[in-house]
Amino acid sequence: MTAPLIQTQNLGKQFVSFKKLPGVMGSFTSFFKRNPIIKNAVEDFTFTVKAGEIVGLLGPNGAGKTTLMKMFTGIIVPSHGELKILGHNPWERDKALRKKMALVMGQKSQLWWDIPAMDSFLLLQKYYEISDEQFEERISKMSELLGVKDLLHIHVRKLSLGERMKMELMASLLHNPDVIFLDEPTIGLDLVAQENIRHFIKQYHEENQCCIIITSHYMQDVQALCDRLVLIFDGKKSFDGPIEEFEHILGHEKSVTFNFSCPQDPKHSFFSSLNTKWNEELTQLELRIEEARLREVSAQMIQDFPVEDFQTEKLPIERVMKELMNNPDLLRKKSP
Amino acid sequence: MLLRKYWEVYKKFVSTSVAVETSFRTSFILLIIMDIFFFFSTITSIRFIYDHVATIGPWNKDQLLFFITFMLMIDNLHMMIFSQSFWEFSAHLKTGSLDYIILRPMNTIFSVFFRHFRASSLIITPLFIGHLIYYGISLKLDYLAWVMIPLFVILSLALLVILEFILSTSMFWLTDGLGINFLRMQFQQLARWPNFIYQSLTRKVLSFVIPILLIGSGPVHFLIDHTHYKLLLYMGVAVVAGLFILANLWKIGLRRYDSASS
Repeated sequence: MTAPLIQTQNLGKQFVSFKKLPGVMGSFTSFFKRNPIIKNAVEDFTFTVKAGEIVGLLGPNGAGKTTLMKMFTGIIVPSHGELKILGHNPWERDKALRKKMALVMGQKSQLWWDIPAMDSFLLLQKYYEISDEQFEERISKMSELLGVKDLLHIHVRKLSLGERMKMELMASLLHNPDVIFLDEPTIGLDLVAQENIRHFIKQYHEENQCCIIITSHYMQDVQALCDRLVLIFDGKKSFDGPIEEFEHILGHEKSVTFNFSCPQDPKHSFFSSLNTKWNEELTQLELRIEEARLREVSAQMIQDFPVEDFQTEKLPIERVMKELMNNPDLLRKKSP
Repeated sequence: MLLRKYWEVYKKFVSTSVAVETSFRTSFILLIIMDIFFFFSTITSIRFIYDHVATIGPWNKDQLLFFITFMLMIDNLHMMIFSQSFWEFSAHLKTGSLDYIILRPMNTIFSVFFRHFRASSLIITPLFIGHLIYYGISLKLDYLAWVMIPLFVILSLALLVILEFILSTSMFWLTDGLGINFLRMQFQQLARWPNFIYQSLTRKVLSFVIPILLIGSGPVHFLIDHTHYKLLLYMGVAVVAGLFILANLWKIGLRRYDSASS
């Protein structure tokens, strides 16, 4: 059995801040007297990641995803619990470990703003002791894949957000890391740029079989890249499993949409036992049905009502996530 | 091998800093003008004082001007190699941009404090060297003194920045570095004058507790009169002790860093 690359046991992090009342009086009051507020950003987080896995960390804002990433990379020190990355304690900042991992933060830049990205890459080449041959090969390959070959010598501040993010990815992968942490790498990007980044990450993973942990607000990122998903609410792990299992967390339901040739009566007895959603004209009906009842209900509908067409799809992951964010208790109900 | 790696990285720090600095031409020229103005205003002030008095403490005009140019030389190197990094460090802590610096497989003190090089200061370094040599010749320094000057410049700069690094480490706790940076500049100001102008207790505190006065007074007293070597010994001790304190304090500081949220 392969030893896990990432291993945590009851990992936790607390932050202390203080509340400041608004205005000048509030400033003076808090200057002399501060009431500390202790926040558990991450609590008792236990999980393992094996070599070659891509794991998606999902959760609402402030759930603790970025805090976890910072602990994994040794930027911040855990308040309690155990953490091993490639057998090292990351907060001990072993240089050998730092050479084997990479971090991309969608909201922070590692590139020098006032010079072209290529100059930053050359600095990174020296940091990570990459040979000229490997450096040139990797730059050429990645810039080709990401379509930024002509932008390498443009000042970073002149690049668009999407172009800059591609450069950030290149900067992080130059040293061919074994473990990659991607913290919202597609945030703020348009759909095409998001797709490009996803495609690049997928291809990079296939070629290098590295371990990737990705956090994102975009479910498409997770669906496209991850086999396994970890859900975090209020710093606690709420779900850890395959993405298919997550899709079924609200039950084995399907979403079916029927279009009728004329308006229907929503108060009809047939609809009373179903989970329905009508359009304004009452010509379109969206149903959420248990997978087992799909065939029976669809047949009945086609037989008794003027159905023009219909389509079935599994519940989109966004919808599952939205429902869970609105009602986290659903997860507890599912837990054994 | 390790030194070579650090040297290679440092060369890149220099070249990227030069690329950034020269992108803003007016600012680059203004910095040079400011440094030249500061140099000549300091020298002129001393000359003016000596137009009215024969000695200040035990030193005549040439001796004090040699001391002043020695300190200006240190200041020039400090501006060139370190100055900007102290201000940037505070910003890195506040914005969380220290995250990426911590991740690099190198000593973090090196990555933080050697990162920004000021090419505008390098351009006027010959001015400082020229004046230091001129006043050294005026003092008729012996062969040993000339050999020791470059070593003392390095030693003095080392002591100054070690003390400043230690002071800057407190930013891990304070986060806002403005107060610390001004305090650091006040220490530099105190060190710009020879130790004998301070009263007994102040002199002792600033020589042995916060050994800021040793930076200039230690080497220059010895260069002028080789029997005054005690301050130099204290200086050596201060450098070693400072390095030890810095290494430990920095480790604690890094563990205290909580990284601004993104």
